[in-house]
Amino acid sequence: MFPIVLLSVFAVVLLFLGFLKSRSVLLPATLLFLVAALVANFLDWNKTYLYFNSMLRTDNLSMVFTAIVLLSSFLVVALSGSFEDDEAAQPAEYYAIILFSLVGAIMMIGYENLVMLFVGVEILSVAMYILTGSDKRNLRSNEAALKYFLMGAFATGIMLFGMALLYGASGSFTLAGIASYASHAQQGLSLIFYVGLLMLLVGLLFKVSAAPFHFWTPDVYDGAPTIFTAYMSTVVKTAGFAALLHLLAASFTYVYSFWGIILAVVTAITLIAGNVTAVYQNSFKRMMAYSSISHAGYLLIGLAALSAQSRQAIVFYSLAYSIATISAFGVLMLVTRQRGMQTLSSNPLSNESFDAFNGLAKQNPLLGLAMATSMLSLAGIPLTAGFWGKFYMFSTAVERGQIWLLVVAVLMSAVGIYYYFRVIIAMYFRDGATEPIRISPVFRYVLVAAIILTIGLGVAPGLLQGLF
Amino acid sequence: MLTLALILFPALTACLLLLTNSGTTRQLAFGAALIETALAIYAFSTFTPNATSQFGFDYPWIPSLGIRLSAGIDGISLLLTLLTGILVPLIVLSTFNRAYERPGTFYALMLFMQSALMGVFTARDGFLFYFFFEAALIPIYFLAAMWGGANRIPVTFKFFIYTIFGSLFMLLALVYLYYQTPATTGSAHSSAIVDFYKLKLSASAQGWVFWAFFIAFAIKMPVFPFHTWQPDTYVESPTPATMLLAGIMLKMGIYGLIRFILPVTPIGIETWGQTAIILSVIGIVYGSIIAIRQRDMKRLIAYSSFSHVGLMAAGVFSQTETGLQGALIQMLAHGVNVVGLFFVADVIYSRTDTRQLDQLGGITRTTPKLTVYFMIIMLGSVALPLTNGFIGEFLLLHGVYSYNHYLGLAAGFTIIFGAVYLLRMFQKAMFGPTTARTESFADLTLSESWVFVPLVVLVFWMGVYPQTFMKMTEPAVANLMKYIGTTAISMK
Amino acid sequence: MLSDFGTLLLFILAAFAFIALVLFGARFLRPDRPNIEKNSTYESGEEPVGNANIQFNIRFYVVALVFVLFDVELVFLFPWATVFGQARLIEATGGRWGWFALTEVILFVVVLALGLAYVWAKGYLDWVKPQPKLPTVETKVPMDLYKQVNERFK
Repeated sequence: MFPIVLLSVFAVVLLFLGFLKSRSVLLPATLLFLVAALVANFLDWNKTYLYFNSMLRTDNLSMVFTAIVLLSSFLVVALSGSFEDDEAAQPAEYYAIILFSLVGAIMMIGYENLVMLFVGVEILSVAMYILTGSDKRNLRSNEAALKYFLMGAFATGIMLFGMALLYGASGSFTLAGIASYASHAQQGLSLIFYVGLLMLLVGLLFKVSAAPFHFWTPDVYDGAPTIFTAYMSTVVKTAGFAALLHLLAASFTYVYSFWGIILAVVTAITLIAGNVTAVYQNSFKRMMAYSSISHAGYLLIGLAALSAQSRQAIVFYSLAYSIATISAFGVLMLVTRQRGMQTLSSNPLSNESFDAFNGLAKQNPLLGLAMATSMLSLAGIPLTAGFWGKFYMFSTAVERGQIWLLVVAVLMSAVGIYYYFRVIIAMYFRDGATEPIRISPVFRYVLVAAIILTIGLGVAPGLLQGLF
Repeated sequence: MLTLALILFPALTACLLLLTNSGTTRQLAFGAALIETALAIYAFSTFTPNATSQFGFDYPWIPSLGIRLSAGIDGISLLLTLLTGILVPLIVLSTFNRAYERPGTFYALMLFMQSALMGVFTARDGFLFYFFFEAALIPIYFLAAMWGGANRIPVTFKFFIYTIFGSLFMLLALVYLYYQTPATTGSAHSSAIVDFYKLKLSASAQGWVFWAFFIAFAIKMPVFPFHTWQPDTYVESPTPATMLLAGIMLKMGIYGLIRFILPVTPIGIETWGQTAIILSVIGIVYGSIIAIRQRDMKRLIAYSSFSHVGLMAAGVFSQTETGLQGALIQMLAHGVNVVGLFFVADVIYSRTDTRQLDQLGGITRTTPKLTVYFMIIMLGSVALPLTNGFIGEFLLLHGVYSYNHYLGLAAGFTIIFGAVYLLRMFQKAMFGPTTARTESFADLTLSESWVFVPLVVLVFWMGVYPQTFMKMTEPAVANLMKYIGTTAISMK
Repeated sequence: MLSDFGTLLLFILAAFAFIALVLFGARFLRPDRPNIEKNSTYESGEEPVGNANIQFNIRFYVVALVFVLFDVELVFLFPWATVFGQARLIEATGGRWGWFALTEVILFVVVLALGLAYVWAKGYLDWVKPQPKLPTVETKVPMDLYKQVNERFK
């Protein structure tokens, strides 16, 4: 609740800060704002409040998700480096849009009313469309933005229709009202209710890029400027899963037998589509896009096997995934920037291929270590946070007895190791251009923090214990 | 607390080594490894030979799930911690005549590896075991892929994917077992290995769990037909990494068999044990026959190791006390022998730049020391009486024989074939006319000799007075047999 | 009995029926004398020229957006105005209601005003014709040298 107000105000302030001659104030200001929001977020700790006539709710779970979202955006913003090397950039507007979109994300996390969910999704999505197309002179960026917008708008339409049908069936937009309607599941529910639930799910699954609604993801992730890809793949995903979790856990547990199997099938398709396609990518960025699809699959396991454990699993997984993804994209940005300077004339695409990482670790041990840690974490190797994320996910599925889903997930994890390790192999075992890359202090801090967090959570996963 | 020191000390020194990158790094690493050896020997000498877990520690790890940081040494762990403690300094010492690029990272990875291995062998919590099991893989992968031979990248990658693929199934099995355990104080389930022992799973569940574990451990050891990663990886890895792999890491697989499969899934073994034992015996014969045909020394030793491991697995699956006892002793003996053999190959390679047997010969003329050490270790591998190999193989064969006479007979080929290929290797390399490459072959340097001396001492000690080691493991093995016995009876 | 959806359906049907009724009624009542002026698109006399599917100047959109914003603001202000002065609410809260409602609407208007200020300051409201950009050449040769050359070869 506090973060929503604060971020809205801060975003407006940032817009006007953009009129200052110097750009250098923007980055620290944004970081400061994010920290303030993060602190304010925890003011309600251990209390449960309903705000705005029960439209929004804060409890520990929503605060934890909000904290993850804020932390991710803090890291992303810190990596953005004021867009100093891009003269056409409008950093004030970008930062303001990020803050606005965070408002949407937090609404998605803490909604109690489907209308709030819709408003949140829209605030977040519209912001994302703009950020995707922010590289105005780049055709790929334009294409990505248009594609994202058209498909996103379509998905939103479906979602809204679903909400309307749910309202028609249950006569309520509130989660509690829908839950009380669904609790009469034994007497038989209206068909409209099920159709509405399905459409709502389709809309949300689109936002988190679950198969078969994932086709926009690779193009959009590839076309968007890397920094916003990092933002998109972490914040949007976390918020989307928080929304799904809250929706399903609060309103639809009574009809689990209906959507449980549907989600399980979607999970399996997502895992297979994401992982198998990622193997064939030559561009690191595209690989990360497919990897984000596959991680949506792992996160969906926790939903398809909804239980008391799922919250913990999804929280841990999204945190581990966000940190690893951001640090991977951070290293990618440094590498492409460096390689871009060396080979200005060549095809810009090649700067993002796996070969761009050849021999990276020899002269840039920090970059190598950061990238290796995040790849290991994404692959789910022990000693990293990603392992425990997968562990929690698998546990929820075992608890539900969805062994077939688990076998798919395990096979796909093995596939995942294949493409994540291509990066590690390129960095450590292949020879390539090995000039040291200049790393600004902020970058260094972020990467070191990401390494410490990933390994720290990997060795002592109990650290987050108090948060649930 | 001693266990904690055993696990943490190498990791902490490794972190320090990462910062150093000078000529003295290897001395530091060697010193650290020696301290670890002292700790391991101290544990061995003060161990009370009974079935309890000693020197342990126990902290909450993920309290809400009842997962604990819990480790300790019992009779089964003891020999393996000793093996790890003794072999690592020797492996470090064996690198003294080589300059490896970026020594800080190189030795740090070795010590990290040692840490993880100690963890695997002492973990008392299922998930902690898995954690170390995987953690051991990362340093060895980097060791092999960064300092390995020309074809190292695809080969080590295959190795990595293979092993991790297997262990993912083990993770599934562990999670499954975890959810079968009854509630404990403070959490719904428990992941302590002893609690897994108490489970009474249905026959079909045991079958699944058996296979999930078996695939993980079979890939690690490796057992036929999961072995295809092994020879290439052994050949392409730098020799210290090969020693770690063959000497210690493959014991993780056998240890896993003993620790998990035997007590947790007795009915699974009743059903599938025969398949497993037949696969192991096929591996024995198959590995031996291929070893006879090899020209590359390292590859020959790799196949011999594959064949020996098959015998150990067969012994474990025979579910007899002698078989188990033999597997434990043989693990120690095989670790000593295979490290020695790989070091011989490395010594020869460092002087002649080749490992091809037909380019070698006549080395004995200039190298009395190497010849003696090589012969002793080779005879130990051949399982000559009064050497370490004999005790283990005898017990193992006895176990397999009492399980099934024909299988025992087939497994017995390991000794005959072993004699054939090892003696052939010895003869081809050491005797005969000298070649252009072996003409000016210098005998062992001081540091090289000091690698061999402890190994040779162990070969004889275990061969002449195995009681030192046997008496430590007997109560634990008897205790383990109790689980197998009770469930086998209850099934009838 | 009718369900809620039935009522809704009746409402929709009634809407269609009403429109049909009015249109057909008008058709029968009005005189029908078409001529060229009456049939043209804009009776004001403006002649439509060319295809309608052309690219508009993007500035139209910016202005339109700002316009819609303030249009919507009005739509929100009307319902607010009806609640603002309700005596019942003011009495029930001891007069605080009025202040509360006023603060809320001021916040709302201020946010919109800030948006207008931002657009203004960014220059999106300036409707100036594009300045033709003359190509400039960066050269170390001073301009008067060119002039001299031009003079000589006039």
